[in-house]
Formats: sequence, structure tokens, C-alpha cells
Amino acid sequence: MLGRRALLGALPVLAAPAIVRAQTAQSLTFYYPIAVGGPLQAVMDGYCADYKKETGVTVNPVYAGNYGDALTKAQTAIKAGQGPHFAVLLAAEMHSLQDADILVSLDEIGLDADGKKWVDSFYPAFMANSHVGGKTWSVPFQRSTLIAYYNKQAFSEAGLDPEAFPKDWAGMSKAAQTLTKQDGSGRVTRWGIKIAGDLGNAQWTFGALANQVGQKLMNEAGTETYFDAPKTVEALTYWRDLAPRGTPPGISAWPVLSPDFLEGNTAIIWHTTGNLTNLRGKAKFPFGVAGVPGKDSPHTVVGGGNLYFFKHASAAERTASLRFAQWISAPERAADWSIKTGYIASSPAAYDTPALKQYVAGFPAAAVARDFLPVATGELSTFENQRIQKVLTDQIQAVLNGQKEPGPALADAQRESTRVLRQFL
Amino acid sequence: MKTNWVLTAASWLLGFLWVMPLLYALWAAIHPSEYATHLSLLAPWTGHNFAVAWAAAPFPRYLLNTFILVTLVLVAQFVLCTPAAYAFARMRFPGREVVFAIVLLQLMVMPDVLLVANYTSLAHLGLVDSILGIALPYLGSAFGIFLLRQTFRQVPQELDDAARLEGSGLLAIIWRVYVPLARPTYVAYGLVSVSYHWNNFLWPLIVTNSVSTRPLTVGLSVFASTDQGVDWSVISAATLMTSAPLLLAFLLFQRQFVQSFMRAGIR
Repeated sequence: MLGRRALLGALPVLAAPAIVRAQTAQSLTFYYPIAVGGPLQAVMDGYCADYKKETGVTVNPVYAGNYGDALTKAQTAIKAGQGPHFAVLLAAEMHSLQDADILVSLDEIGLDADGKKWVDSFYPAFMANSHVGGKTWSVPFQRSTLIAYYNKQAFSEAGLDPEAFPKDWAGMSKAAQTLTKQDGSGRVTRWGIKIAGDLGNAQWTFGALANQVGQKLMNEAGTETYFDAPKTVEALTYWRDLAPRGTPPGISAWPVLSPDFLEGNTAIIWHTTGNLTNLRGKAKFPFGVAGVPGKDSPHTVVGGGNLYFFKHASAAERTASLRFAQWISAPERAADWSIKTGYIASSPAAYDTPALKQYVAGFPAAAVARDFLPVATGELSTFENQRIQKVLTDQIQAVLNGQKEPGPALADAQRESTRVLRQFL
Repeated sequence: MKTNWVLTAASWLLGFLWVMPLLYALWAAIHPSEYATHLSLLAPWTGHNFAVAWAAAPFPRYLLNTFILVTLVLVAQFVLCTPAAYAFARMRFPGREVVFAIVLLQLMVMPDVLLVANYTSLAHLGLVDSILGIALPYLGSAFGIFLLRQTFRQVPQELDDAARLEGSGLLAIIWRVYVPLARPTYVAYGLVSVSYHWNNFLWPLIVTNSVSTRPLTVGLSVFASTDQGVDWSVISAATLMTSAPLLLAFLLFQRQFVQSFMRAGIR
């Protein structure tokens, strides 16, 4: 095994690169997580069967649990030398994966003119977590943004215009307070808005809030955070001050936001576009989809999973992986995956396909998230990503729980993250 | 009499607290999702959730895999732990205490720490993505050895001697004298082992890649669709389906299990 791999590695030096290109890998394995409902394993198996028919190359898709499980599984397998050739993992994990030294950049695999065109074909917002050191490390696959879902019936009931979702912070707070409903005994029967503040999600929501005042949370290299910037503090203060009249005091958890929304316990939620198909199937009331507001105008954050390529694969396998990635992110497939999952299709070309055009015509909400991509920022992504997320989330929760003021809390978060990230500077 | 009454009431209360999640799962599973958090007696009944859950993953295959896995682990643990426990309980050899201490050390190591190391070994053996591969790290059990050793030590030496005088060999003594007397311990340990491996999630997820090897728990994770929140009704239906065989087995053999636990001293 070792001999063969070493030989393959040496080939480009010994022979012309064209010879290496000519040998194609006939079998590839990749891991992918599923974070939305539906028979998506069957859909993915179908894509790979089609690919085999078209090209003769076998691609084994391995369902790997949720995003966290998939990351653990891929890293464990790669360390044992049996890893996948490529995988769908969180876009935000780029720096951590680089630190683990298991990624190979697209530039190193080799992009010809067509390949470069392909990389440029995606929405720029979805490439926001893909670049570092002048290289491209991943391409978008199942991507989302934070958007607002609102109960139109509740809007009408509260005397608000159901077609005009608030666009700025002041309007948002006012609407949330108006929508909160109490019964005779003063018990709240419906909250205006719920936003996720639990671990693993708080940093995402907060990335959008920071972007709403025009503040980034980290630099592109993933080595610095800006948690104690005055605007970051302003964003957290705004979040805290939504309670107790517009949102419940304390922490609302991501997994219960949609059940709460569906049951009418809250009139607005900020959630992922990946939830659209689910809510559409289950909501018993007319609901609207809108961009989340901003201090002055709507701003949001992107999320979801990218395709990463791994270093341990041979040159032929890397090239074959890249070819499959190009095939599966082609407009028709991207459109199909978007319709079946609710994620945003990764390229503008996908929205020009007949399938997606027809879908959007019948369900205009599907295009709302796409329209807010120009005002979306990359999500929090640094070295030691999960540790930094935890540092930030702990402080956000302390503020939401009323134990700390936003200023000192975020100063603590910044101090801790500077300490963790010092070694990567 | 009065304390008895208090004790009974307390037992019922504890029993109720214990069974509540199960009752809730049952409630959520047989009603439409919108009633998942509204306890209304008028809520319509439905089998829809079970149908959705059943269709979402190849559960019969997963059930078979889980069954093979727990059986394999249990049989191997019994076969491997029994002679080891006998050796530690009754045989004299230099370094016995040291070796036993090393075995006990295994109890202190969290299995999760060994994920990468175990995976690497399996990769060398070519056992990744096989049921044997999931089972392998658990076949030799320090807990099983310890438990059986304690039980074997309580077997009167006279019985051992008598069997020896009758001309029984070493294996015959273990099989005819020790194993029958330790039956409650085997049952109790078996229950602990089966329920642990029935529920194990992270390791099987990491080491398996295909439907033909994955156990139920990995199949269940399809329902933890984090991007859209949890559908309590469907997840409850799926949970009931996957835990039903264990629950039924426990109800059927309840008396034996309870007695075994009393005698074996595991509580």
C-alpha cells in the first residue's frame, strides 16, 4: 500500500502530468451529514447511481449523522488512514480542518480554465468561508442563510401589515412587543419573537446581529476575533433588550423554535432557510418569509455545509473527486437538491433552470433567502472553531440570563479567545 | 403499617417519574404532531407517525444488525470473562494481583478516548464497516471479569474440591460448579451488557459506513434533523419501535431479572 502510494506521489515528478491525469480513480467514498428531514439518503444514492451511469465511476455516499458526527467520523477515519476522499462538512470548520492538516486546496488539485470558471460560478457569499492564504479550500454544497419566518395571521391580529416585515431594529423591537400577547392573568400566550441562544447556534445568530451593525466577528485568516468591538457590544445589547417584552427572558433553544412557531407560541423566529420545506409542509396558518432586519437595513449570515477534499487521497483520486464535485454542483443537480431540502442552490445558474424557476414561481418564499445573499456575511470561523464558539456562547448566555452586562461579558470573551488563538498568529 | 403505606406511595411516585418519558413518547407517537405538547383527551389517534418513521430508514435490517451485535458481544463476553474470572478467583500464580489491577484499570478508561486508536487497529485488521468490528473493542470486558470473579470467590471451596475428587477436569469444574452457581450474575451482567450495546451510538456510527452493518441507534439519528427542529411525534414513534424489543424482553423476564439483580448485588 505504502509503496504504491509513494509511487503515485512520485509520478508527477517522474512522468508528464498528463499521464497521471489519464489514470482515473474508479471508486470514491465521501461522507455527508443530513440536518433536515426527508428521505435524503435515497436522493443522494440516486445522484451517485446516475453518476456511475454517466461516467462509470463508482461514488459511495456515506451518511455520517449530523454535522458534528460527520466531522468526528471523517477525522477519526482519516487519522487511521481509511478516510473518505472528500466530505460535506460545515463551512465554518475550514480553519480547524486546516489546522488538523488533512485538507488539500482546490488550487493544489489543479484547476483548469473550466475549473476556475466553476469556482467563480457560485454565489460570492457562499465562498466567504472558503478562502485563506490566497487559496480556495472548499466549495458550497448545501448552504443556507438566517431568515425570518413570521406568522401572517398573528401580524393581522396584532394590527400589523402582514406584507411588510420590519426592515430595521427599531421596527423589529416594536413589532415583537406588539405581537406578544398575554391572557387575563398576565401569562404570555404568544411571544413576539424567538432567537436561538443555545450552544452551537448562538454564535450563528449573533454573527447575523453583528453584521446588522456592520461588524465582522473575525478576520479571514481565522486568527483574530472582534468580540469586544463597540459595535459587537451594541449588537448583543440589542438582542438582550428584546426581552422581556418581545422575547422570553433567558435562552431559547434552536430545536424548539420551529415547533414553537408551528404551535403559535411565537409569531416570529429567526431560523435557517433549510427549514423552509419543513415549515411549508406543516404550518396550519399562512406564514411569510423575510430577510432578518438590521440596524438600518436587512443583513444576515450564511451557514451550512461545503465540500472539502482530503490530502491523503492520491492525485488521481483527488482529480476524480473534484470532477464529481463539479458534476454534483452543476445547476440541474443544485436546483434539484435545493427543491428537495430547502437549502439555497449554490449558484445563480441553478435559479435559471426550468425546474427551479417553476418551483419559485409556485412558491415565491423559496427565492427570498437568495435575494438577501448580497447582504450576508460569512459565519464565525476561526482556528479551534468549537472552542471559540463555546467561549462566545457562554458570554452571550450570561448576558441573556441577566448575569452580566454586554460590555464586560464580551471583553471576557475576547480575552479568552485571544489566549486560545495566540498560537496561530 | 404506616411506614409501609408511605413506602408504597413513594415507590409509586418514583415509578411514575421513571415511566413518564415512556408515557409521553407513547402519547406523542399515537397522535398527530400538533398535539405533541397539548395533552387533550379529544386528540385524534393516528398511526401516521409510525409509518413515517418506518419509511425513513431500513429498520428491519438495522434491527437484525443490532440483534447480531448484542448477541455476538454477549456470547463472547461470557466465553472470555468466565475463565479469566476463575483464574483471578481461584488459581494461584505469580503476579496475579498485578495482572488483576491492570484489568481493572480498563474500567477507568472512557471508551471515547480510544476512538482513534481502536479505529486504527480495526483498519489494520480490515474490519472497518463490519459488525465484528463494532463488537471487537468490547469483547473482553473488565467489568465482566471483575463481577464474575467476585461471584466465583463466594463459591465454597469444598464444592470445588469435591468435584476435583470425583475426577472432574478444570473446564468441567468451571462448567458444572461455578457457572450454575453464578447464574444470577450472568443474567444481571447480560442485561447490563445488552442494554449498553443496544444503546451505543458514537462508536458504531464512526466505524460503520453501510446499511448492512449499522445498528438501530445510528438509524434513529436520521430523525435528529437539527436544521429544522425536532418532530417529537415521529421521533417518539421511532424510539418506541427501536426500544420495543428490549422493553418486551424485560417485561417477560421481569421476575428473573429482578431476582438476579438482588442476588448479584448490582443495583
